[in-house]
Order: sequence, then C-alpha cells, then structure tokens
Amino acid sequence: MKIEILYPEIANLFGDLANIKYMMASVPNCKIIGTDLNTKPAFLTSDDIDLVYMGTMTENAQLIAMDHLEPYKDEIWKAIETGQRFLMTGNAFEIFCKDITDLDDMPINRFPERVNVETKTTRCLGLFDINVKRKVMHRLNSLYLGKYGDLDVVGFKSIFTYAEPNAVLPPLFETVKGPGLDNSKMGEGIHYRNFMATYLTGPLMVLNPKFMIRFLLECGETQINPPHMGAAMAAYEQRLMEFRNDKINYTL
Amino acid sequence: MKIRFYIALILAKLSIPALKITGHNATDFPGSLALKICPDFLKYVAKPARIIAVTGTNGKTSTANLVIDMLKALGVETLNNSRGSNINSGISSALLNGVTILNKEKYDTAVLEMDERSAARLFPYVKPDYMLVTNLSRDSIMRNAHPEFIRWLLEKYVPKTTKLVLNADDLTSCYMLPENERVYFGIEKLPTDTVKCHNLIDDLQICPKCDHKLKYEYRRYSNIGRAHCVNCDFGSPEYDYAAANVDYENMKFTYRGPGFETELPIIDERLVNLYNEMGLITLILQLGYTIDDIKQHIKTAEVTKTRFNHETVGSMKVYNVLGKGLNAYAESRVYETIVEQPGDKELIMLINDLSLAADWSENVSWIYDTDFETLNVDSVKKIVVFGDRGLDYQLRMLFAGIPQERIEHVSKPEDAIYAVDVLPDMNYYVVYGADPGSFALGNKQAKELVKRLKAMTGGEEVKA
Repeated sequence: MKIEILYPEIANLFGDLANIKYMMASVPNCKIIGTDLNTKPAFLTSDDIDLVYMGTMTENAQLIAMDHLEPYKDEIWKAIETGQRFLMTGNAFEIFCKDITDLDDMPINRFPERVNVETKTTRCLGLFDINVKRKVMHRLNSLYLGKYGDLDVVGFKSIFTYAEPNAVLPPLFETVKGPGLDNSKMGEGIHYRNFMATYLTGPLMVLNPKFMIRFLLECGETQINPPHMGAAMAAYEQRLMEFRNDKINYTL
Repeated sequence: MKIRFYIALILAKLSIPALKITGHNATDFPGSLALKICPDFLKYVAKPARIIAVTGTNGKTSTANLVIDMLKALGVETLNNSRGSNINSGISSALLNGVTILNKEKYDTAVLEMDERSAARLFPYVKPDYMLVTNLSRDSIMRNAHPEFIRWLLEKYVPKTTKLVLNADDLTSCYMLPENERVYFGIEKLPTDTVKCHNLIDDLQICPKCDHKLKYEYRRYSNIGRAHCVNCDFGSPEYDYAAANVDYENMKFTYRGPGFETELPIIDERLVNLYNEMGLITLILQLGYTIDDIKQHIKTAEVTKTRFNHETVGSMKVYNVLGKGLNAYAESRVYETIVEQPGDKELIMLINDLSLAADWSENVSWIYDTDFETLNVDSVKKIVVFGDRGLDYQLRMLFAGIPQERIEHVSKPEDAIYAVDVLPDMNYYVVYGADPGSFALGNKQAKELVKRLKAMTGGEEVKA
C-alpha cells in the first residue's frame, strides 16, 4: 500500500498524523510519501497511490494549500471522478469546497487575491458545491457518535467551522449523536466516490480500530494486522460506552 | 454605568471579608461578582500608572512570579494576580484589591499574568506599558486551537503602544505586532542543540513569507531555536539580550546586552526556566533598572516550587510534578525533564482531565502530539495509569514503543500508589494536570505515596 500525505509540513495539527502511523503499522510493506508544498502531488503523476491523506491545519495554512493546489484543480477533480481514494480529516476538506465565509473576524492575514475582505469570503478550489461558515470566536468542541455501515464510529470535533452543502452529497458517517457536517443532525463528512472527508479531528483510526480495518479492506488490503489491537479495542469499547451514556454532554 | 460600577466595586469589596469569615478561598469570586454586576468593570476600575503584562503559552506563571519577586527585592510593591486566575475574573479581583472604595489606585505598578486566550476580554481595558511574551506554542486543542490563532488574537487586541519583550528563539511569537516597540532575548547555541526536530510537534517548518522550507541553525525542542528561509530574507531576529556560555555544571551563564556582559547564576536546572530567567532580566532592564541592580537579587530568585518539587524517603525520592494535561507541548517538556533526572524512575500518571469527567469525555487527540516516546528509555521502569483515559494513555505508550510489561493500568487513582514497586534508590514521579481535579488528586497521591514509603521503610524521617 502506498499512502501520499499532502503537505505534512503544514497539515499536521491535533494528532491527525497518528492516523497514517497506525495504518502504516497495520499493513505490511506500507509506504508513505510526504509531498511538500513545492512538489506536484504524486497521485497526479503516478497511478500507484492507494490513498491521499491530508490532516487538520491552521486557517492560513488552508490558504497556502489552496494556492499550491490551484494549478492542479482540474486534474484533482479528474482523479476524484476516476476513483482515486482520498481521506481528509478536520478542516482539510474545506480546501476543496466552494468558499469559506467568516461570520466573526477573519483570522488570516495573507492572500488578498483569494480573500474578499468586504464579504469576508475566502475562495476555495470549488470542487464541491459546499459553503463553509467560520466563527473564530465560537469554537465548537464536541463528541461525535456515528455509523459507518454497521460500525459504530466515535470521534471528536474541535473546529471553528461548519459546512452547508448546496447539493445532496452522501455523508461519510450517519449521525447517531453529536453535530454533523452543518452542526445539526445531518450526517458527518462527505463520501463522494472514493473521496472521504470528515470534520472529525485527531487520531480517528486509532480511536476506531474496527473502522480502520474496514477502511483498509476497502482500500484493497487483505493482510491487515493492527498492532496493540487488544489495547485499542479496550479504549474503543470504553469510549463507546461513555458516548452512549445519556448523561454525557456532546458539546462543551 | 458609573453607578453600576460603584455598586459592583462596593459589593465585590464587601465579599472579600465575607469570604474570609466563612473560610472560603475563592480568590476569583470578588472579580467574578464585580463583572456580573458591571460587565465593564475592567474599563472603569482605576489602574496603576505602570502595567506590566506577562503572557504566552508556557512559563507565564513562573515568570510573572519571578518579576513580582524581583520588583519586591528592588523595593517595588506590585499589584498582581499571583493568588488568582489570569482570566478576566482574576484580573478584576486583583485590580479590585488595588483600589480604595472610592476607586483610587493604591499601587504604582501592576504585574499581571494575562491569559493569552482571553485577549479580547482583557486588552481593550487593561493596556500594558510592557508585555513579556514567553512563547506561543500548541496548547489545549479545544480552548486555544493553535498558536497562529492565539497570535492573531493578541495582534488584534494588544495596544500598539505596548513595548514588547519577546523571545527571539520562538518564531511563532517573535514577529508579532510588528509596529510595536520591542526588544529580543534568546539563548545562544548550546552543546545539546540539534538541527533536526526530534519532537512530534514541529510547527514552523516553512517560511511565513514565501512558503519555502526553513533551515534551522539550531533548535532545542520543536520550533524553539534559530532558523532562516532558504529562499528569502526571512529569519530569526538578532538578540538584543543573549544568554551565552551557559554552564549547567556550575549553574552560571553570561548575560549579554547592548554594550555590556556579566556573569549571572542560572536559577533552575531546566532550560525552559532559563528562558523564563532571560525574560525576567530583560523585562526588568526595560523598566530602568541596571544589570547590577538585578545581579544583587537574582541569586535569591526561585522558580515556583509547586511545579517540580520532591520529598526524600530514605534513598527514595517522590517527585510532585505539575504537568499540563491537554497541552502536548508542555507535557512533552515535562517528560524530557523527568528523563533527564538521574536514576531509575517509576511514574504515576494522574493526568486524566477530571474537572469535566462527570459529563464529558476527554478529547485525547493531544496525546498523539505528545512525546510519550521520550519515556521509552531503560531508566523508566514502570508507568502507572488509571481509569477510563488510562486505557488511551496505555495505548499511546504502546505506540511509543514502551513495552507492555512496563505499563500498569489500575481502575482507581488511589490504587496507583500501590502499583509502584518499592525499591531502594527509586525515584517516583507523580505527574498530574493543571485542572483542579487532577491537581488536587496529584498532590494528595504524592503525599499518600510518601506516607506509604515511609511506613514501609520503618518510619524513616522524611526530608524535604
């Protein structure tokens, strides 16, 4: 398996990269390619990338990533349409949306050509018809319990944003408890062809070992042997029990 | 509004003796009450003529206390919030104490530790003349998001008139508020410095001007060090005040300023506290004191003891270590410090965030930014974790390569002290978080462990 991490020098917040480390440790001969900002993404130049991953980043880093991906946006869309597998966690997927509108102040200080200060709107790559709303003075911290098929998925959100799709896009997770993509009961994330994205931050795969195995199977892997599976499952079962508890608050 | 303010002032002042009489120790309560009655309390309360702020992600409490002590030694009684919080209620309580019932200020100088995340609530009203920024680094994911956001908040709210004392070795904070007058302090290259980052948190890998890679000339941990861009003219600023010839063996260093240098004692063996000491000295110099004034008193300066103290039981030591749960960056520094200590070690990790545990489930993402790998050394013989989150910490440690046989999970925190092995010459570290629940638990269990060891070793005298 070959995994390409896009822009690990900036997209590395909140422990998200543990997702890749866990997958790498679970599959024999897994290779990781870290593509930096000044290199064309490998999945656009070779056909052996099994997964493209990008994690959470700062608001300025989103703009940097957009600028570096802008020249390739048509190629990226073609790759999505032809089944290239992507996993985006945290705010990474917003780069591929239509725009981000700040409802509080704008926490960014560069890229005047991409940012309309009057409307407080940032133009994104526009691959998905989704408007993102950002409130930097109102951080959302929440727990999340959802379903991926028959699997229970647990996770956390610590974000300034929510997303409003203008078209119906299948969610990555069906929401059981906690805020979905638009902070309501909507499903969480998007799942378009093999483009998978979620606002859940942090070590999603580590928190959900069963989901990781399912995900790797869908990537075509057959030899999956996650390390420390007993300890991972114990932590998962404990968290699942807590998240199912009606006394637990889902938002802070 | 003025009437409301005076009602707030009077009632909040009356609450102080009432709290004392009823045996309550809620130092923030008077400030909270004042803000509840008059939300603009901070705007109207009289303030000392000179306000010194200490802010930053890590080290601000230690540094603010050092500043308060140094000024006291120099004959300046300061209004300060060392006994309260650093958010608006704590600052309000402090300022309340600093005025008469007629709102006349009683102090000329305030030293305020100010929470960087609370910038929007503090700086519009409390305008520092001087502000020392210790550093800006990753902190609580939930509260602080990331350091760029905190820098943005400070830039939005800190007045342009504030003179800044900045850490030149921290590229996240050192270029903040470019219009403000500033001086830079830093620590020159150390023999232990590296070029490559050996920490999980490796912020500032690219140039903030042109996005090309930054080349580090040296670094201590994460992004602390000196760097320049390989493509443009961006780089770390020159030091106005530098620590050179740092000699931990003899606990001394050379302090270099414009046109002078002198030898000074290192007041604490931890590198993070040398940065705090540098911040202290550089700030005091900006207030008009001379290096000789400082030299007279720096020898007696002490870093707050509650953060890393120990008790001895025979040949064993029990360390009481205040970590910073939820703050991966600070927690990693704690682990580095522990591992640097001589001898074999057993750790009791009471870092679970207990304050919210009743109706919340801790977001454990931070532990995957924390260098648990540091603890994977032969001298760490056992690590005890507890409860629900203990399962997460155990898993994280396994990922860090720590063998399962060195990790013990117990159900209840009070069981942890019975899970350690009582061995001669062993060093026990009780590590806990800053949230009130974890803080109280950690202190209690450290004492219980001392008692247990004392009982097991026949009641040998406990030496502080």
